[in-house]
Amino acid sequence: MDFDESGSRLLTQEFIAVILAGFGNELTPLTYNHGEEPCPKALLPIANKPMLHYPLSWLEASGIRDVLLICPTAQKAAVTHYIRSDASTTAFPSLRIDLQVYGDTQDIKGETCAVLRNFAHKIKQDFVVLPCDFVPSPTFPLTRVLDKFRTEAPYDGSIATTCFHEWQKPEKGTSIEEWNSVPIPMPIVWDEPSGTLLHIDTPDDIDRNDSSIELNMSLLSSYPKVRMSAGMLDTHVYVCRRSILDVLHEKSSFDSLREEFIPWLCKPQYSRSKRRKYGSSLSPSSNSPSQGLALQHATLHTRSMQPSLHISSTSSAGEPRTAPSSPIDSEDDIEDRASLRVGIVVHRTQDGYASRANTLYSYLELNRHFLAQTSWTLPSDAESRAMIDSKAQISTDSMVGHTTKVEERTSIKRSVVGKHCIIGKMVKIVGCVILDHCVISDGAKLDGCILGKNTKVGTKAELVRCVTQAGFEVDAGETFRNDKLEVADWTATQESSEDNEDSGESTDGE
Amino acid sequence: MSPPSLPVQPPNGPNPDSRPPLKAQKEMTKAERRELQEKQRAAKAAAKTAGTSQPNQKPATKQPPVPIGSTGAPKKGGRPADPAPPRTPMLPAGRQPRDAKLVSTLAETGPMNARGLRIFSHFGLPKPVSLAKGDIHPVILRLALQFSDFKITGANARCIATLTAFKTVIQDYITPPNTTLSRHLMTHLSPQISHLVAARPMSVTMGNAIRQLKLEISGSDIDLPEQDAKNALCQKIDNYVRDRIMVADQVIEETAGSKIKDGDIILTYARSSVVEKVLLGAHSEGRRFSVIVVDSRPMLEGKRLLSVLTEADIQCSYLLLPALGSVITEVSMVLVGAHSIHSNGSVYSRAGTALVAMLAKQHSVPVVVCCETYKFSEGVQLDSFTKNELAPLGDKFASFPLTKPREALMLVNGPNLEILNPLYDLTPPTSISAVVTEVGVIPPNSISSIPLALGRLL
Repeated sequence: MDFDESGSRLLTQEFIAVILAGFGNELTPLTYNHGEEPCPKALLPIANKPMLHYPLSWLEASGIRDVLLICPTAQKAAVTHYIRSDASTTAFPSLRIDLQVYGDTQDIKGETCAVLRNFAHKIKQDFVVLPCDFVPSPTFPLTRVLDKFRTEAPYDGSIATTCFHEWQKPEKGTSIEEWNSVPIPMPIVWDEPSGTLLHIDTPDDIDRNDSSIELNMSLLSSYPKVRMSAGMLDTHVYVCRRSILDVLHEKSSFDSLREEFIPWLCKPQYSRSKRRKYGSSLSPSSNSPSQGLALQHATLHTRSMQPSLHISSTSSAGEPRTAPSSPIDSEDDIEDRASLRVGIVVHRTQDGYASRANTLYSYLELNRHFLAQTSWTLPSDAESRAMIDSKAQISTDSMVGHTTKVEERTSIKRSVVGKHCIIGKMVKIVGCVILDHCVISDGAKLDGCILGKNTKVGTKAELVRCVTQAGFEVDAGETFRNDKLEVADWTATQESSEDNEDSGESTDGE
Repeated sequence: MSPPSLPVQPPNGPNPDSRPPLKAQKEMTKAERRELQEKQRAAKAAAKTAGTSQPNQKPATKQPPVPIGSTGAPKKGGRPADPAPPRTPMLPAGRQPRDAKLVSTLAETGPMNARGLRIFSHFGLPKPVSLAKGDIHPVILRLALQFSDFKITGANARCIATLTAFKTVIQDYITPPNTTLSRHLMTHLSPQISHLVAARPMSVTMGNAIRQLKLEISGSDIDLPEQDAKNALCQKIDNYVRDRIMVADQVIEETAGSKIKDGDIILTYARSSVVEKVLLGAHSEGRRFSVIVVDSRPMLEGKRLLSVLTEADIQCSYLLLPALGSVITEVSMVLVGAHSIHSNGSVYSRAGTALVAMLAKQHSVPVVVCCETYKFSEGVQLDSFTKNELAPLGDKFASFPLTKPREALMLVNGPNLEILNPLYDLTPPTSISAVVTEVGVIPPNSISSIPLALGRLL
């Protein structure tokens, strides 16, 4: 007799979280393979914690238990290892993570819709889509977005809630063009008092007409006073009703959730034709009793809440409704007038810094943000402390990982250094992110770089604002500026290599 | 050295305003005096760290917990303040609540934050619904959010919403082994009910309905298979809603509608679901009358009623409560709804109803209260001060017009300004001419003579 089990069975899980761990095409070369092993984007560390840690601990705090984590096939082993590890089981004890794989090749970029369609059978209730790279601010709990969805979905039939955060334009000089370009956010139109997302200008719309934004007239007649902003980035956090997956199956031409499907989803709320076509599948009448009867008796609720010019399909134009429908109404009447709204929660930067780590620039920024929050002290365990030389100068706004060896007269400023690194003498590291197991020889100078795992930097080498792939080796005395350094394929080195990008050394499957 | 004497305390805890009884200085040894000094110093230091609750240091004399020294330091006792936004100043200013918990060892140092409300502080301010403790069913979670956001308001609506939610909870319930549905279901429902009450205080209608539900659950047959028992319960819930709300409303609609004659001017206050049905029903019967809708801030429910009535082609006038005196002479009948009705005949309804009723009585206008029997509360209520609820501040009552900026429609708390919006008030039975229920038209005091209202079967 297991008395505990009955407790969990008594409660149906309200939400299931779907975390999409992609390949990280914007973060190359960090996400290129390390020899044969993949470097999953989801496990790239931010402030020495793997990226996945942040959305997972966010979920843990919000009370959602079931998580469906989807990653490319190649990364399955690494991600499984992380999920089962001690660090994660202590950090999020109550999550039940189900890892699924999808896709064989690198070409699954932007195919988030296909992923969802594939796993729709595993999703039986309302769900939350999260990216693996979103780092929320500690003052922004997921329950805020969930509560908005919970209040609105039964009340007036809203179908999804999205979340946007303010985008900070990178200052001049900090973003590097040779690295991948910083994407410009898509302009959005939303209604502030009710928190309704009305329109997202997709890249397709911009292609069609790049000098103006086209808005539907019925949108404006429903919401006469809206706000528009081109400074909001989508966090890719979507809380959706289950019925959305059915519509996703119908619209099989869509590939990307963020760029195609969600902007399309904003349309049925004001577009009469789309509402007719998709209204019944978006808000199906279900067996579970809705609060329609209670809402009829509610004193602050009127059926024609939206000051819209919609004439419900049942009554003919010009004939006023003389009497209210009988008290024991059919549920369909209520669903007809379901608003099909898409809600929006806007997170302002003044409330806390939140960002997605999907470009190199934002990855670096997030690391810098966490550095500003902590202050470094000598590590407490004696083993790590012994490895750090007393004459090394490590500034307080740096982070040095576990058992990293730092030799004398090295200075580390404003940097994140990973675990098990070996840093030699007289090394200057300023504003860098160094992942685990790197070896930096004496006299090297690193400024604003991101070094992948197992990077070896030779003596007296100089790297300014470079990104290296895992396992890259920089020869002694070499200088690189503003470069993305990738390890050449060992077959390619047989040909003469004129680019100074590759130092001509092939890795041997480490 | 004589053993120290036990200070006598009143049964409800130490008198908050007086200094704790100190032993005479000469009686204490030097060590004890020094300890007392340290304690007072520590208490002062603790009082400085606002918002943290310090465990009280036991007096050296090892007596049963006497909070000496620390009751002097904090200005007000109260629950430990979470670092909540100052918008929700916590409980009692100055008076320690007669709560047994607070007399225990931990006398908390009250926070030196915003002054508490001077009056109505015992209602407590609405707290934001926090993360649910324990396993709360998602339907209840959503319902609590809708209550606290004032999306579902009104006695009938809240009761129907609660019962509908409970139907889902009951259907999803699985009896654990070694117990029966009739015994365990109630313990399963209790935390859900507490969560709802935490969102917004329970209405009398909800209370009556839940009491009836408990009766049904405990009376359910042990031998029935689980699904049948659950279906039977859901059926009973449906019957309750149908009989005591829907059908009752229909009877009231006919009875009160018959009192409306052609050419009448009916006055109603705020919005009651029953009165709305009465007016629409009478209009559909072909009677020609006009309605004056009286409304008040902050909820402005009358506007919603106005939109419904005008859509039905009823002649309406709309005014705010202060303008009532100028129209009362033209009114032929006042129709209001009720949140609940008490044994002494007083009607507990939206704040402002009492004014309307008393003014109407003064001008010899009949005041008719439309109220179903399930709204009857067995208590006696003499004023609206002991039990009431405060409306939350902020943008909860989003009302039209959408074109005006939000700030113009709201008042906010300032450093010298506290906003108080009690939601309910009490109309004395002397101002009421008649109460229309589904069992007939009765004078207000005799509601307690109806067995159905008392929950007993005929």
